[in-house]
Order: sequence, then structure tokens, then C-alpha cells
Amino acid sequence: MSDPVTIIMIEDDEGHARLIERNIRRSGVNNEIIPFTNGTEAVTYLFGKDGSAVERKGQALLILLDLNLPDMTGIDILKRVKENKHLKATPVVVLTTTDDSQEIKRCYELGCNVYITKPVNYESFANAIRQLGLFFSVIQVPPASL
Amino acid sequence: MTQVSRRRSTLQTLLLSAGFFVLVAVSVASVLLVNKAREDNALVVHTVEVESQVASLLVDIRRAESATRAYLLTSAPQYLSEYRSAAAALPAALGHLQMMTVDNPAQVANAAKLRAAVEQRLAEFALSIERVNNNDTATSVDVLRKSTSTDALEAIARIGRDMRTEEDRLLAARTATADRTQVLASSVTIAGSCMVLALAAISLVLLRQSSRARDDAEAKLRDSNVNLETIVDERTADLREANEEIQRFAYIVSHDLRSPLVNIMGFTSELEELRGDIFRRIATLNRTASLAPAMEDATDAAEPELEGSDKQLSDEFNESLGFIKSSIAKMDRLISAILNLTREGRREFKPERIDLRELIDGIVKTVAHQAAEANATVEIGALPDIVSDRLALEQIFSNLIDNALKYLKSGVPGAIAIEGRTKLGFAIFEVTDNGRGIDPKDHQRIFDLFRRAGTQDKPGQGIGLAHVRALVRRLGGTMSVASELHNGSTFTITLPIKWSGKNAGRNRDKES
Repeated sequence: MSDPVTIIMIEDDEGHARLIERNIRRSGVNNEIIPFTNGTEAVTYLFGKDGSAVERKGQALLILLDLNLPDMTGIDILKRVKENKHLKATPVVVLTTTDDSQEIKRCYELGCNVYITKPVNYESFANAIRQLGLFFSVIQVPPASL
Repeated sequence: MTQVSRRRSTLQTLLLSAGFFVLVAVSVASVLLVNKAREDNALVVHTVEVESQVASLLVDIRRAESATRAYLLTSAPQYLSEYRSAAAALPAALGHLQMMTVDNPAQVANAAKLRAAVEQRLAEFALSIERVNNNDTATSVDVLRKSTSTDALEAIARIGRDMRTEEDRLLAARTATADRTQVLASSVTIAGSCMVLALAAISLVLLRQSSRARDDAEAKLRDSNVNLETIVDERTADLREANEEIQRFAYIVSHDLRSPLVNIMGFTSELEELRGDIFRRIATLNRTASLAPAMEDATDAAEPELEGSDKQLSDEFNESLGFIKSSIAKMDRLISAILNLTREGRREFKPERIDLRELIDGIVKTVAHQAAEANATVEIGALPDIVSDRLALEQIFSNLIDNALKYLKSGVPGAIAIEGRTKLGFAIFEVTDNGRGIDPKDHQRIFDLFRRAGTQDKPGQGIGLAHVRALVRRLGGTMSVASELHNGSTFTITLPIKWSGKNAGRNRDKES
């Protein structure tokens, strides 16, 4: 994974965030991870104060998104990212507890690139995150400013 | 309301009976009175006849007398013949009169007296005529002039008068009776008619009253029907809303419970890793402290041995972690089960025509491996086709067949049979096995969520039957079990043959 890629982790549960980070690191991915525990902060970071996301122009980002956030649903963030001209090429990985097929379908329809259900079984969970890490290390992330 | 209407109908019946009775009474009375009038009239006519008979008798006597006298005076034979014809008619006329008056004792006596007087008079006439024939006119006149002859004449006149008086009296009485009878007849008829008319009028009034009451009741009924429908609709909507709320609640709760569970499991696993590291280090340290020369061996050893209290500590640690992890796993299964159930509850059912035989054949094929392992045979009998939701039916039958295969008696070859029949618009399906059976006290319990019965030697959450029953209910059916411990079980499912999907939840929230 080319170094400048920054991982934006939007996850309200700090435990989950910690487990995800640990396992990503264990898979050998050392990119910067910026964690957000609520939707508003993440949105402000991504889209800037004016909501146009000009500030993120030219940055290579990868968004790790939980759907159940305290202040908004991850689906809204996904929708905004995919509708924004600067961010729409940014890969979005939805990582959530919901395994409802309708929800999964909806996320893919909105342009989510990968949907992963958080398994309660830690082996599977760790495995999934490590594989995601491997995926991050080979994925080519376009700069967000095209 | 009902009491009033009952009273009204009783009254109507009474009125109708009364009217009928009056009609019958009037008819009978009329017939009787008409008969009586006819009899009375006959009596009047009879009286008149008797009077005329008496009159003609007297006339005949006069004729006979005058003919006799004329013959005495003139001896002309034409008077003789006239006398004879009159005298010959008299006895017959007398007989007739006697016959006619046989009903009246006074007249009978009078008639007898009259006959005696007339016969005496006739005898006198006969004597005079005989004398005239013997040219003894003088004595003949004497005969007629004799006081006895005037006596007889007077007697005849008197008796004739008596008889006529008597008959006049009778005539007056009988005419009066006849009049009375006729007046009575007509008044009875008029009174009866009036009564019938009055009864009819009352009936009409009552009828109108009751029909008005019925109209009112009908209107009220319509109103309350409409009301009832509205109420039912409202309640149904409320229930549906409540049901949806419960499902949403169950969904959200189970969903949100999962999040902390991921942490618990994750960090427990992290702890487990740490435990490994810690105890490995303790073992290494112990070894280093006690056996300095063997240090190289220890580093070589893949897993350093723990000793004494340290080993016990490690085992306890392991045991605790094991319980935590198995509990987490169980909780996760329960949460998943609730999630699946709520998801099923939100699914829209689509009624379609289903070939049950084909559907169950398919299920049996998928469990063929399980059946072979359990040494069981599955027999499919005649099955009616029904209109229902395919997926729901698949889940119902595969759950039941799964259960039948799962809970067989060990050492006995399993025999599972699936049969169906129809009855009164419902299809009845039976899934029978010869397995371990269910204690009757557990028959209700097995349908409860997370509850199981019997020996707990098979994996399972206690969801299958709860789910099946929920599905059967949503499809408008019922299900029951008949079973005894060690003697197999029969699960009976009754489903409508043509399920329209009307009682399925409508307008479920779009986002699920």
C-alpha cells in the first residue's frame, strides 16, 4: 500500500476500534489510521466546514465505516461520500454488526466497495480484519481529487 | 327490546287466533240460524196451509149442504151429483187435515171433533137424500131442520173457527219467531264482521308498528356493523403496529447487544493470548531461577512446563476463559436466533399454488445423508396441493423432518412418515416418527422459544418448533403434537387449502 494512504476509521465502539486497529497492525499495515467515534466529527473531517470536501482533494483515503453510529447512520455517510465529486472514488469498507441481507444489498447499491459483518467469534473477526489488512496492502487507492 | 318484540308477536298471534275463532263462530252461528229460519218459515207456511185446509173443508161442507138443500127442493139430479162429489172429497180432506195437525195436541182434538161433527152432518145429508129418493121430502126436510142438525152445523162452524183461531195464534207466534231468528242472524253476521274488521285493523296497526321497529333495528344493526368494522380495523391496525414495534424492538435490542459482545469476545481472546505469554514467561523465569545450567534446554523447549501452584493457576485461568467463551458463544446464538425470527416475521408472504409432494421430496433429498447416517427411512404419502407461501412451508416441513431425524431412538431404525388429507377447506398434514417421543407435560413447552424437552444430547437452541408454529399461525393454520415418551411423535399441521394472504402483515416497514 503506497504510504500516503490514510485510513479513516469511523467506529463508535472504542473496543471495536481498538480490536480493528490491533489486527490491522498485526497484518503488517502501518498506514496512518485516523479514528472517529461519531458521524459528525467524521463528516466534518471528510467534507470540511463547507461540506465540499475540497480540503481532502488529492489525498488518498480509505474509509472503514460502521453503520450504527450514535448521531447518524453510516449509510448517510456512505451516500454523501459516493455523491461527492472529490471523494466518490475513495474505497469504502463497511464493517458492521448487521448481517441483514437487505442492508448489505443497500450498501452495495450505494457504492460501498466491501461489506464485512463483524463476527462475534474472535478468530473469524481477527481473520477478517487481517485479510482486510492484506487487502489494504495490495489495493490501489486513487487520490481523491480527480 | 326483545321482550317488547316477543310480546308484540304473541299479541299478533293471539289476535290472529281470535279473528279466526270469531270467523268460525260467525259462520257456525249463521249456518245454524239460517237453518232455524228455514224451519221457522216452513212452520209458518205449514200454519197457512192448515188454515186454508180448514177453510176449504168448511167450504166443502157448505157445498155439500147447499147441494143437499137444492136437491131437496128441486130433486134435480145435477145437485145430487154435486152433493156426492162434495161428500166424497170431505173424508179425504179431513184425513189430510188430521195428518197436518198431528203436531199440535189441541188441533188434534179439534180435528177429531170436527171429523165427528162432519160425519154426523154427512150422515144427515145422506139420510135426507135417501128420503128424497124415496119421495119422502117432508121428513127429509125435517131431518135437516132437526135441532141436532143445527147443532152439528154450529159445531162445525165453531170448531172451524177454533182451529183457525188456533192456527192464527200459531201463525203470529211463528212469524214472530222467524223474524227474531232473521234479526238474530243478521245481527250475528254484522257483529262478527265488525269484530273481524276490528281485529284486522288492530293487526294492521301492530304489523306496522313491528315493521317500523324492525326497520329501526335494522338501521341500528347496520350502524353498529359499520361501527364494529371500524373498531376491528382500528384494533387490527393497533395490533399490527404493536407487533411491528415489538419486532423492531427485538431487532434493535438483539442487534445492539451484539456490539458489546464482539468486544467481550475480542478482548477475551486477547486476554487468552496474553495468558499464554504470561505463563510462558513465568515458566521460563522459574526454570531460569531453579536450573541455571539447563537454561539452554528451556529456550529450546517449545512449551515450558509449569509446576505446582503455577500449573493450578494456569488451569483455573483456562477454565474461567473457557466458561466466558462458551457463554459468549451461547449468547451469540440466542441473539442470532432472535434476529432471524424478527427477520422472518418481517418477511412478506406470497401465496402461490404449491405441489406439496414435490416440495417435501426436495426437503427429503437434502436430508438424505442425515437419514442414511441415522439409519432412517422417510416415507411420503398422498399430499394435497395447497395455496400458501413456499418458503414458509419449506421451513415448516424441513424443521419437522429435521427434528424427526434428530431425535430418533438409538438402536432402532427410524421410520418417518409424512401424510396429508383435506377436510372442510383445510389441509391436514401429519409428520410421524418412531423416535424417542415427548413427555405429555412438555407438549406445550416445546413450542416455546429457547425451550427444549427430554435428554439434551443434541445441539440446538430450542427455536425450530417456536419458529414453525409462528409460521403456521401466520399462514392461518394451527399445529399440535401427539406423543408419548419412547413411543414416537406425530406433529399435525392444519393449513387452509387456499390461503389468500389476507391475515399476513401488510405494509411492513420498507427498511429492514
